[in-house]
Amino acid sequence: MTIAGHSIPEEILWILAVIFGVLLSCSAIIYLLRQRRDTPLLKEIHLRVWSWWRIAIGVAVVIAGPPWMGALLIAYISFVAMREMFSIGQLRGADRAGIFAAYLAIPVQYFLAWHFYFEQFLYFIPMAMFIVIPVLLVLNGRMNQIGRSMSIIPAILMLTAYMPSHMVLLYRLPVQPHPAGAGGLLIFLIMLTAFNDVFQFTWGKLLGKHKILPYVSPNKTWEGFVGGILTTSCLGMILSFLTPLLWWQACITGFVVGLTGFLGDSIISAIKRDLRLKDTDDLIPGHGGAMDRLDSILITAPFYFYLIKYFAGI
Amino acid sequence: MKDLLLYLFYQLIVRPWLTLIIGVRFSNRQVFDNVRQFIVVANHNSHFDMVSIMAALPWRKLKNTRGVAAAEYFGKTSFSARLMNFFFHAILIERHRKEGAPSAIEILDGHLKAGKSLVLFPEGTRGQAGVIADFKKGVAILLRDNPGIPFIPVYLDGFGRVLPKDKWLIIPLVCKVRFGEPVYPAGQDVDEILEKVRDAIFKLKDKDERDRNVFDYK
Repeated sequence: MTIAGHSIPEEILWILAVIFGVLLSCSAIIYLLRQRRDTPLLKEIHLRVWSWWRIAIGVAVVIAGPPWMGALLIAYISFVAMREMFSIGQLRGADRAGIFAAYLAIPVQYFLAWHFYFEQFLYFIPMAMFIVIPVLLVLNGRMNQIGRSMSIIPAILMLTAYMPSHMVLLYRLPVQPHPAGAGGLLIFLIMLTAFNDVFQFTWGKLLGKHKILPYVSPNKTWEGFVGGILTTSCLGMILSFLTPLLWWQACITGFVVGLTGFLGDSIISAIKRDLRLKDTDDLIPGHGGAMDRLDSILITAPFYFYLIKYFAGI
Repeated sequence: MKDLLLYLFYQLIVRPWLTLIIGVRFSNRQVFDNVRQFIVVANHNSHFDMVSIMAALPWRKLKNTRGVAAAEYFGKTSFSARLMNFFFHAILIERHRKEGAPSAIEILDGHLKAGKSLVLFPEGTRGQAGVIADFKKGVAILLRDNPGIPFIPVYLDGFGRVLPKDKWLIIPLVCKVRFGEPVYPAGQDVDEILEKVRDAIFKLKDKDERDRNVFDYK
C-alpha cells in the first residue's frame, strides 16, 4: 500500500491490523461493560487501555510512517526519558551546565545516526561527551560530590540517548536486507521486547517459586526468567518472517532480547529502589513514567542492532 | 484584540513549549471554571512561576487577571515594564515606598474593587527550591478587606531547578503546577487568614515528591 509516495510493506499492514484490532475490541468491551455498570476497576482498566492506544499510535508512526518521522519520534522519546532521569537523579545545582550539554548531545547523536556516520556515531557519546561533561562540571568549580555527578550524567546520557539511537540506524542501513524493511526490523524488536516483559510476568505468576533478585524486585522469579526467555525465543522464530533472519538466527535473537530485556528492567528497578520511588514519573496513566515503559527496550535495541548487522552481513 | 492575541500566544506557543520541552504538568486546572474573581497565591522560586500560572488560565480569566511584580526588578527600564504589562498585565509595586505615594495594599485593593483578579507571591521574592519562606501580610489584609473574593492556592514544584534565581540557563526538568480548591477565608484576624493561606499551599506541597529529589541544590 502506498500513502503519499511512501509505501508500506504488506507484513507491516498485517501487524498493524492485528494490533489495532485487539485494541479496538478491548475498548469496545470496556465501553459496553461501563455502560452496564461503572466501577473504579473498569475506570482504571479504561485508563490503561487508553495509554496503550497512545503507545500503539507511536509504534505505528515508527514502523509505518515516513522514516524521518519515526526517527524524530524516537529522538523525542529519548529526550523525554532523559528529562525524567535527570528529574529524579538528585543532581547538584552545579551540574546544570553538564545536564544542558547532555540534552544538546541528543540532536547530534540522532543526526549522526540518520546520516549513518557510523564511526562518529559510535564514539561521539562514549568518548567526546564523556570528556565534555566532566570538563563542564570542573569549570563550574564546585568540587563537593563532583565524582558522583561525573558518573551519573554520562551514564544517563548513554542509557537514554546512545542506546535507543541504534534504532534509527535501522532506517538507514546501506542495504535493506528484507522486503519488510526497517519497519519489519523495528516491529520485531518492539514486539519481542514488550512480549518478553509479559511472558516473564505470566510465567512468574503461574509457576514462580524461587526469587531471582529479591532485593531489587520481589516479584521476579527464576521460573519467570527462564520461561520468559524461552517463550521469547519461540516468538522470535514465529515472527522471523518480518526479518532477514533464518529460524535459528531468530531464535538466538529472541534469546538475547529476552535476556537483555530482563537486565534493563532490573537496572531501572534498582535505581528506583535506591531513590525509593515506585515509578519514575506519572506521565502515562496506569503505567508510570516513560522510563517505566522504556526500561527494557533501551538495553535490547543496541544488542539487537549488532545481531542483525552480524547475521545479515551488513 | 490584544488580549485575544495574548491568549493565543499562551495557548499555542507558551503552553506546548512548557509541556513538551520543559516538562511542566498542570493539575486541577478546572478550578477556574467555578470562580469569578480570585487571588492566586503561590510559592515563588523562578521566573517560570508567573508564566506557568498565566498559561493555565482560561480565556475569560486571563483578560481580567493581573500579575503582581516588584518595580525595582521589572520596572528598571520602560521597555521591561511595557513587556511585563503586555504579558502579565503586571502591576509593578515599589518595595520601598516613596513619601506620599499610595501603599501597595491600596493599589492592589483598588484593582480588586475594579473587578480584577490577582496573581501574588506572598514570599515577596524568589527563594530556594523546596523551601517556602515566611509570607508577607499583604495578601491577608486584601483577603480580609474583600470577603467575597477567594484565594486559590498553587504549589509550584520543581521550577527552582529549571531556572533558579540568578541563573540564565534553562534546563528542562519535570515540574508541576498544582492548583488547590478556592478558599473563602472568613474572619477578621490577619494572622489567622495568613495561616490559612500558608496551610493551603503546604497541603499541596505535602502531596509532592519532586523537590525531594534535590540533592544539595547550590
